[in-house]
Amino acid sequence: MARPHIEPYVELDSPYKKFNLGGFKGSHYKVLSLDTDTGACTLKVRFDGGYRRKPGLSYSDVEIFLLNGSMQVGKETWREGHYAFLPAGTALGAIRVAQGAEALVMYNDSEPTFVESDRHHPLVLGDAFVSMNSYEDAPWASGSVVSPSVATGCMIKLLRFDPITEAFSFLYCLAPRYGQDNISYHDCAEESYHIWGTSWMMQFGDLPTGGYFWRPPYINHGSFRCTYGTLAFGRTDSVLYNYFHYNPWTNPDENQLRAAAFQYRKRPQLYNWVASDGHNHPHGPPDFETPDYGDEAQVRLLHGQPVGGSPGRRRGKRR
Amino acid sequence: MARPHIEPYVELNDPYRKFDIAGFRGSLHKVLSLDPDTGACTLKVRFNGGYRRKPGLSYSDFEVFVLNGEIRVGRECWGEGHYAFIPAGVALPALAVPQGAEALVMFNDSEPNFEESGESHPLALAEGLVSLNAYEDRPWFGGGRVQPSVATGCLSKVLRMDPLTEAYTFLYCMVPRYEQDNISYHDCAEESYHIWGTSWMMQFGELPTGGYFWRPPYINHGSFRCTYGTLALGRTDSKLHNYFHYNPWTNPQDNLRRAAARHYRQRPQLYRWQASDGHNHPHGPPDYEAPDYGDDAHVRALHDR
Amino acid sequence: MAKRVQDLKPARKADAQAWMKENVAEQKKRYAAIVKEQEELGPEREKWVAGFLKIIQTKGFNVTGDVRRIIKPGEIPKKPKGMKKHQVVF
Repeated sequence: MARPHIEPYVELDSPYKKFNLGGFKGSHYKVLSLDTDTGACTLKVRFDGGYRRKPGLSYSDVEIFLLNGSMQVGKETWREGHYAFLPAGTALGAIRVAQGAEALVMYNDSEPTFVESDRHHPLVLGDAFVSMNSYEDAPWASGSVVSPSVATGCMIKLLRFDPITEAFSFLYCLAPRYGQDNISYHDCAEESYHIWGTSWMMQFGDLPTGGYFWRPPYINHGSFRCTYGTLAFGRTDSVLYNYFHYNPWTNPDENQLRAAAFQYRKRPQLYNWVASDGHNHPHGPPDFETPDYGDEAQVRLLHGQPVGGSPGRRRGKRR
Repeated sequence: MARPHIEPYVELNDPYRKFDIAGFRGSLHKVLSLDPDTGACTLKVRFNGGYRRKPGLSYSDFEVFVLNGEIRVGRECWGEGHYAFIPAGVALPALAVPQGAEALVMFNDSEPNFEESGESHPLALAEGLVSLNAYEDRPWFGGGRVQPSVATGCLSKVLRMDPLTEAYTFLYCMVPRYEQDNISYHDCAEESYHIWGTSWMMQFGELPTGGYFWRPPYINHGSFRCTYGTLALGRTDSKLHNYFHYNPWTNPQDNLRRAAARHYRQRPQLYRWQASDGHNHPHGPPDYEAPDYGDDAHVRALHDR
Repeated sequence: MAKRVQDLKPARKADAQAWMKENVAEQKKRYAAIVKEQEELGPEREKWVAGFLKIIQTKGFNVTGDVRRIIKPGEIPKKPKGMKKHQVVF
């Protein structure tokens, strides 16, 4: 994905703009980050009181996190903390917002699209649909879902997990007086929106309530501090591995080479296979368990291949 | 211990008063809770800039938690988050507070007292001394230290544990959007001071920053909610077991009897031994591992001796 | 009996006596204020209790950690007959 590195961006002081795309008229928005090729984006949207939309679908996977207010979606009522993952082609019931609401709205495969429909698209991957209240329907769990692990005091609630890429969306929090003294980077892009609270990273300083980042792969972040606690919504675009180190001056290319060196040392046969001529298939090596994984939009996006109307672009140039 | 049930008490709006007891002159204080018999107490103390004290000891165990500012203690510098447990008779070096500091100061055995001395008392249990920075020198620990357990999202750092009574002092926090849907009570008294943040209990409502409680044993508290997170210092006076239930209207007597009924069911021989005539020794049953435990000041206080 | 430092504490001096007297009286006042304030919370507490009894029948009661059990309607406690005040401070 070719979203630039947006970090930190505190959106609270930026004005909303009228949202004049089909399906969104009567709402306002701010762009938090945008893929300049595909149009994939993360938006903060204000649905004003009285907003209505007929049932319909998008040709992109969509994620919604309701920050405040409530909205009627078909027969459901979504309140503060509601999270939904709508696979492309999912027809969502009619939307009605009586008193106003604000939400993070994320289009993963293209710019925001909407087509009126009361039926799912026949190709929809309906099993992936998620709709839950993240504040009430899931318990906090230790942040050590990944090893090497974050320090104790970072907790998460897993909201959605993509089995193919291991991309995941999560609510997370830092406990008051959280401290973690290392520098981290990942193979994945990472995104976060501070619902409440201020935390600090050695590179970027304080990120307060309303703070946001979209951070491409291999970019140093940390050490970490949080004085009073933070509640945030986070996402990755593929598997998250914590590469920890303590050299403040490395750049993303050096970090990526170090990650490759890890592969070389720890998975030697795999490394050799990937590196050898003729095997390095542009659509990915065969997987007997999921032979068609190369068709998945998220996988194609990760590898800069065209999705929908977009031309696709090789991922990797970050700056 | 005979401190009354003080819950909730938000001290921030109450003024400091002069602390006119030897060793504390030049500081101000508020009493958060006080045992009217022994004088054991929990205080919030403001040491004004320029406060100094010579080396000395107390005849009571005492605990200090620095809320803000800095206290120089001999060669050590106790900053924000510093915790110390000073056993009775252990001499602290000279104190100096250049810029002002606020601290919780807890005297466990008697009213505040101080005696100038460059050396510890020969009977001082010096190995009990604890001095650490709670914010920096200890990791957060997930719930589950005690079973049955609080919900995930309540984390703690144990700062000091008394081996005889399992009384302990701890920093704890609730993460944002914490919730726990049960009612709890314990065999121990429980104390807390909110360093920062607001949390809610079904009985007492919201306890904000500066909120305090001293809660005697067997008193219902919970369910629990916390919207934005809370950081607090907590203590118990003996072992903490979570008795969870869902009857909002029980009183401490009902709860105590339910605890005893569990004891009856779960440790039948122990229960029968305790209940039988002649064994129920007023100074406690013999313990071959700690034969003198009945002399411990804290154990005696727990048994009103 | 092993001697403990605490047993050797000198008797309370006048300043300590005065301090005790003043603060025991203060604490009595504070306790009374807390009891009054908590009694005034009664009507709101009724709503909190109703909310709690509803949650444990839908989402469940936290047995330990995040393990929850749905409480059946027959298991829900009834407010004791004749209870005028729901005492929470003892």
